[in-house]
Amino acid sequence: MNTKQEPQRFVIPIGPQHPALKEPGNFQFTVDGEIVTKAIVRLGYAHRGIEKAAEERTWIQDLYLIERVCGICSHIHALAYCLAVEQLAHVEAPPRAQAIRVLVAELERIHSHFLWMGVSGHEAGFDTFFMYSWRDRERVMNILEKLTGNRVNYSANVLGGVKFDLDQEQIASIRGGIDFLEERTRHYLDVVATDFMFLQRTRGIGVMSRAQAEIMGAVGPTARASNVARDVRKDAPYAAYKEYPVDIILDERGDLEARFEVRLKELFESFHLIRKILDTLPGGELTARMPRKVPAGEAVMRVEAPRGELLYFIRSNGSDKPERLKIRTPTICNLTSVVKLAIGHQLADVPMILAGIDPCFSCNDRSVQIRTSNDPDGRMLSWDELRQHGIDFYKRLEK
Amino acid sequence: MRIGVMFPDVSGALMRHSATEKYPFQRQGVTARLRSLLKWNPEACTGCGLCAMDCPAEAIQVNVLDRKAKRFVFAYQVDRCAFCGQCVESCRQGALEMANDRWELAALNKEPFMLYFGDPDDIKTVLAAEPAGEAGIPADK
Ligand code: SF4
Ligand code: SF4
Repeated sequence: MNTKQEPQRFVIPIGPQHPALKEPGNFQFTVDGEIVTKAIVRLGYAHRGIEKAAEERTWIQDLYLIERVCGICSHIHALAYCLAVEQLAHVEAPPRAQAIRVLVAELERIHSHFLWMGVSGHEAGFDTFFMYSWRDRERVMNILEKLTGNRVNYSANVLGGVKFDLDQEQIASIRGGIDFLEERTRHYLDVVATDFMFLQRTRGIGVMSRAQAEIMGAVGPTARASNVARDVRKDAPYAAYKEYPVDIILDERGDLEARFEVRLKELFESFHLIRKILDTLPGGELTARMPRKVPAGEAVMRVEAPRGELLYFIRSNGSDKPERLKIRTPTICNLTSVVKLAIGHQLADVPMILAGIDPCFSCNDRSVQIRTSNDPDGRMLSWDELRQHGIDFYKRLEK
Repeated sequence: MRIGVMFPDVSGALMRHSATEKYPFQRQGVTARLRSLLKWNPEACTGCGLCAMDCPAEAIQVNVLDRKAKRFVFAYQVDRCAFCGQCVESCRQGALEMANDRWELAALNKEPFMLYFGDPDDIKTVLAAEPAGEAGIPADK
């Protein structure tokens, strides 16, 4: 780690390599002794140009590109995309397909929350917690593999429905796995709520009040831990969430402990929902017929990813490819809170505060074209201008 | 507040065997739905090219030499394939299927990753027609 000294001020850059998490992002913390007095976040190190690439592929090909936006919540991205495209094409997937989509989404939430739980434990230096929660996470990974054929990028969706069905054996194995995971989740909830060492790292750390959460536009479990009742599954039910409603888990405390508890308690909702789907799985077809060309129009789709609200905007010009696709992932909404909450905390708490929002950098990197009123078409920079822009940018940051 | 809440997990695990699999001496069974190498059924194929059109990785080329006589060469680039299963979904004739047991695909050169299915003579014709280094000729749509 490089440190840079200035008169009475110390700026510690963290990242872009491995800033607490194995993803690129750059943070600059100004510290006074051990206390953070200013924080700056800089993103864009994993920009992959997915939105642009999507414009060059057909609607069907895009589904698999979109699924690869995120390795952890791949299904929910594909689901949001499918629902948006289906909305444009006035096609509705059959009820059985919608229920299976929700089932996979909830299994994915379980795997994602277990993954996050382990990583955050690791950030707190609690590696026992990390190892055992990840061992138990294998159970849900096995369920997903058995169900879809893959551990990640399940490829469960097709435009207009899903690829596979559930049989009795699958149902029995999911039930067994869910029972096991429920028991383990109860245990981990006990750990995060009572372990003395762990509470030293979470209780009263990174407190975000409800007003702050609302102003900063926090989403998902991060917002719910600050008592903001915001959950797309409830606010605007999609797929089969109308038939299978969930309860919103809220907490008033707004600190890291609350974020742990909210996520873990949410898992019980997921277990409950999965059992209910297995009990009352509607019969019928798995896919509806989907046209190859999607009628011109615009669609916005919001879904609740494990990390919070995920938004898709799609514009079609009536051809077999999208004209524009815009993705907004939950991490970008929650990152502001990290920058704000880090101030006043010890530097050592910062990794935990960052991990507390369950960030996922590569999915949230988007490029923006800046247009000013003078040049409405945007600006093209030459290589030298771009270099100068970079130098000026950092000079401004240092001030 | 308590101390050492996870101690029972640790002590319980001491009695367990290691979970590491001794591959390649020991192989875990695969799930029935695992998607591995693509299988093509020449009898059912009509050469429509939908599979190639929908493949997100452009891993398939359907070369139609004679549609009536069902002379097709199905070129499949394994190292491009993302094993997504869309081609199987797109094929209306049910001519495609994914095996679930052919997942050990590592090789020392690229040769095993370029598969041609079809009549051996037809494959020769297709290979002769294509420029060196490129796979397949464009599908006849
Ligand atoms: S499985 Fe997917 S990537 Fe592989 S050939 Fe079929 S469509 Fe293409
Ligand atoms: S979609 Fe099926 S029938 Fe058409 S070319 Fe491909 S394998 Fe043959």
